[in-house]
Amino acid sequence: MSDKKLCAAFAIAGAFATAVALAETAQAANDQEKCFGVSLKGKNDCAAGPGTSCAGTSKTNYQGDAWKYVPKGTCTSIVTPKGKGSLEPISH
Amino acid sequence: MTTSADFDQSAFVRALLDPELPPPNEVEASHGFAPKRRFAVYRNNVCVGLVDALAERFPICLQLVGDEFFRAMAQCYVRERLPRTPMRFEYGDAFPAFVSEFEPARELPYLPDVARLEYAVGQAYHAADAAPLPLDFLRALSHERLDNATAVLHPSTHVVASAYPIVSIWRRHMSDDEMTPVVLDHGEEALVVRPELAISVSPLPSGGSAFVDALRNGRTFGEAMNAATGVAAEFKLIDCLRELFLTGAFVAVSVAH
Repeated sequence: MSDKKLCAAFAIAGAFATAVALAETAQAANDQEKCFGVSLKGKNDCAAGPGTSCAGTSKTNYQGDAWKYVPKGTCTSIVTPKGKGSLEPISH
Repeated sequence: MTTSADFDQSAFVRALLDPELPPPNEVEASHGFAPKRRFAVYRNNVCVGLVDALAERFPICLQLVGDEFFRAMAQCYVRERLPRTPMRFEYGDAFPAFVSEFEPARELPYLPDVARLEYAVGQAYHAADAAPLPLDFLRALSHERLDNATAVLHPSTHVVASAYPIVSIWRRHMSDDEMTPVVLDHGEEALVVRPELAISVSPLPSGGSAFVDALRNGRTFGEAMNAATGVAAEFKLIDCLRELFLTGAFVAVSVAH
């Protein structure tokens, strides 16, 4: 095996190790939960009524069956003009 | 009675798409209503239904051009291309290409690529489920020789490379932050994955989409690395892998011994 190939082999393995560590840090910092009833119209991350194609399709502000990712532990303390955020779908 | 065998479908489709044409001969209206008016209602329902499907499929494009412009543009697409399959989620596959040729939309040169990204998002949403490799498994792999290793990507994995910042545009329209302007002076390569229930759209470093495409085609990590540096000499492998690991884009990695 040439030196160049050996270098590439180490570089890729090394990049794997570093990338896993970075991904773990990002995952820990990015702990989120799905929060229903807090997204503005068309800004939901997913779920907005039967048959829709999901993200960005909610029809009204704070739609109860549309959710958005928020930092973990904050959902139910978010207050909107239609009430509080919920971890389960809500019907306004 | 007309059977499906002698029913002229092409004449029916022509009449369906052209409001100037009379209804097909086979069409009858009950209760003595005029077939012409009844058929016009049907024609309108078909068109509106397909325009609605496109509006749900490309919600960010709709936001970018506004409801009126989008619906007019979508109507032109519907006239040009009816669905090829009964699955409505597959409708719009040629919409990005259509938008790039649509003269009135030329002012927004990034619109076709945003449409490509949105189509990829829809494809990812309906892709098969698969369990992403956990980070612990990937960490253990870093003790192996990986240049000859190959990977199986999550079925929902898509990449869209653009000369415009399509990820920033997409995110900007998905967030509640209305104030931050998107600067159009750079291109972005989008990674779309739906590892569980939610879609992830994130930027890859330059060359990242070539890297992902090579892996998808069964190339080794070493070959994928070459493909990426061929497109972007400064390709950042670590950043690219980090994004792929974080989004759950790998479902298997095979190390050759």
